[in-house]
Amino acid sequence: MSDFHSPSIAYAALSPILIPGIAATVGVLVDAFVPRAIRWQTQTAVALLGLIGALIAVSVLAGTHTITADTAVAVDGPALFIQGTIAILGIGSILLVSDRSPGLDGGAFVAQAATAPGSQEEREGAASGHAQTEVFPLMMFAITGMMLFPASNDLLLLFVALEVLSLPLYLMCGLARRRRLLSQEAAVKYFLLGAFSSAFFLYGLALLYGYANTVSLAGIQAATVSSGHNDNLLFLGLGLLAVGLLFKVGAAPFQSWIPDVYQGAPTPITAFMAAATKVAAFGALLRVFYVSFGGLGWEWRPIAWAIAILTMVVGSLFAITQTDVKRMLAYSSVAHAGFILIGIIALNKSGLSGSLFYLLTYGLTTIGAFGTLSLIRDPDGEATHLSRWAGLGRRSPVVGSVFALFLLALAGIPLTSGFTGKFAVFSAGVSGGATPLVIVGVVTSAAAAFFYVRVIVMMFFAEPVADGPVVATPGGGTAGAIAIAVAATVLLGIVPQPVLDLANRAVPFYH
Amino acid sequence: MRVDYYLYLSAVLFTIGAVGVLVRRNAIVVFMCVELMLNAVNLSLVTFARLNGSLDGQIIAFFVMVVAAAEVVVGLAIIMSIFRSRRSASVDDANLLKY
Amino acid sequence: MIPILILAIIGGGFAVFSIVAGSLAGPKRFNKAKLESYECGIEPSPQAFRGHRFPVKYYLTAMLFIVFDIEIIFLYPWAVAFNSLGMFGLVEMVLFILAVFVVYAYVWRRGGLEWD
Repeated sequence: MSDFHSPSIAYAALSPILIPGIAATVGVLVDAFVPRAIRWQTQTAVALLGLIGALIAVSVLAGTHTITADTAVAVDGPALFIQGTIAILGIGSILLVSDRSPGLDGGAFVAQAATAPGSQEEREGAASGHAQTEVFPLMMFAITGMMLFPASNDLLLLFVALEVLSLPLYLMCGLARRRRLLSQEAAVKYFLLGAFSSAFFLYGLALLYGYANTVSLAGIQAATVSSGHNDNLLFLGLGLLAVGLLFKVGAAPFQSWIPDVYQGAPTPITAFMAAATKVAAFGALLRVFYVSFGGLGWEWRPIAWAIAILTMVVGSLFAITQTDVKRMLAYSSVAHAGFILIGIIALNKSGLSGSLFYLLTYGLTTIGAFGTLSLIRDPDGEATHLSRWAGLGRRSPVVGSVFALFLLALAGIPLTSGFTGKFAVFSAGVSGGATPLVIVGVVTSAAAAFFYVRVIVMMFFAEPVADGPVVATPGGGTAGAIAIAVAATVLLGIVPQPVLDLANRAVPFYH
Repeated sequence: MRVDYYLYLSAVLFTIGAVGVLVRRNAIVVFMCVELMLNAVNLSLVTFARLNGSLDGQIIAFFVMVVAAAEVVVGLAIIMSIFRSRRSASVDDANLLKY
Repeated sequence: MIPILILAIIGGGFAVFSIVAGSLAGPKRFNKAKLESYECGIEPSPQAFRGHRFPVKYYLTAMLFIVFDIEIIFLYPWAVAFNSLGMFGLVEMVLFILAVFVVYAYVWRRGGLEWD
């Protein structure tokens, strides 16, 4: 054991990961020691400071290429771009979470998660006006994991990051104030399926370790180009690893949890999951497939094609049949996962930069869409049934138009950010030799546009329902998050070039 | 003594766990099956460490154990809360989320 | 050999000291509960377990125990390789313990360690 050498750890290069982690730890201490009356405000401030700090750290580090902590963490262009995206999406999500204005019925979160639904304790807790603030440290721990996920340069760290981001998400799914049974059910489903998928990921890790005698991505890549290894282990391991990662991004046939969990979770958490989790998981998926298995493209591409086509078709077709707006957005997120998979299959520089850009635009639009959705309310919570939305645009033109803008961006209509993102990924797909895939993408996009437009028609051209839902006046947090999302959706649609350049400069992976 | 028998044992255990997750109805039992899968992975890791003559596999097994413990705590808390609301831990009873 | 002997003497000495000091210094008030056979602190229950459930308090205590107990697993390899890890290992381990300690402070403040 005497040949041990301490790994050098470049703490500065790790600061986008460390700062949210420190903010999360401080959040735990705030929960323990700060008086209850000012706890909510303190937690919001700590979380936002942590995320702004991480964003500043990312911008200072821009252009860095380094591998640190032995070979465990890679700080390079794609990692920093994804980390910056997650910090921005995290700020939006925290703003949504922090909103407890009376219009939103005192926020989306239950006062005391341990009380049973319908019990006396629950009513007392709700009446007291206090609320548990654990959701903030949980959010920050999840964000720490997400920051680490796309920067992990070995499979063990990838697994630890996966769990650090997943475990808080399981808990946060069960924290809804309204319809608590639904929320708890979503948490159980997400947890059991998530744990199941991470077991697959882990078995893949073990087999790849047996194959290459290392878990570092570069080491596995080196083993794939040399001879004398057992290829059965390689392909079994690769397949099982991919199951774990594809589950997190919600690609078919591993998408079954997405609609249930997105519908049951509190809406700010749904926004956070749909945006930030997907970004982080795609960041990791991109790194694993570009760095370790890029040379094996011929072997895994046929299966990846099938998964991408299935994901796009399932997401788009099922979205059309939904009558619940939250579930519809959930299926739309499945379809979007399929579009981004085209960028992975392209396996070239423009595929990588296109995916990065797509993730940013998609994430911001999604945060805005779910934030707007939380404003449309019935007496017993959010009005998510599509029929309740009839004529909403006439009664409240501002909220109606904002939601319509987000839907158009998700559909990929020109002059919105969604179009630029789709264009970047699809053109990379064509240049990467995946033209049939791109044709499927265009056709399913057109099918998907149908259900987005159907909602818009419903909002603006249908007769308003009697005793329809009220449009709540948002508090500062929700209003701020929606404003950021609107600005980004419009700006990235009209003048995308600066951000596209940023994404182009961020590639390729450094290893 | 051939070491690779342990790999077969581990694959069998993993499969038993995976099948258990798919066919059992009680959330606690489903969760125990997931734990069985994780432990099968640990067996694989330690065997590969022996086969490859490196220590990494043993260290990874430690990490898996710690993560599994964290997962137990989070998971049982969630199952507990739903059990207290419904007096049942069957995953078939949890059927509100359908369209 | 010598360090192990010293360790054994210190360890044995501490055990003997604790027993002797406890019996000398502690108050001696026996009651029925103390004289019953030990069953994790609950009333010894000869009846069938079916139909009875453990109070939720046990669950909380058990979970806290598991979380803190399992963290120790990282201390073993660290302790084995302590000499060659040097200052780096010490700093990292202190940071790790600090993180666990923060959680401990949280559990304590939120009443997780109170039985009733």
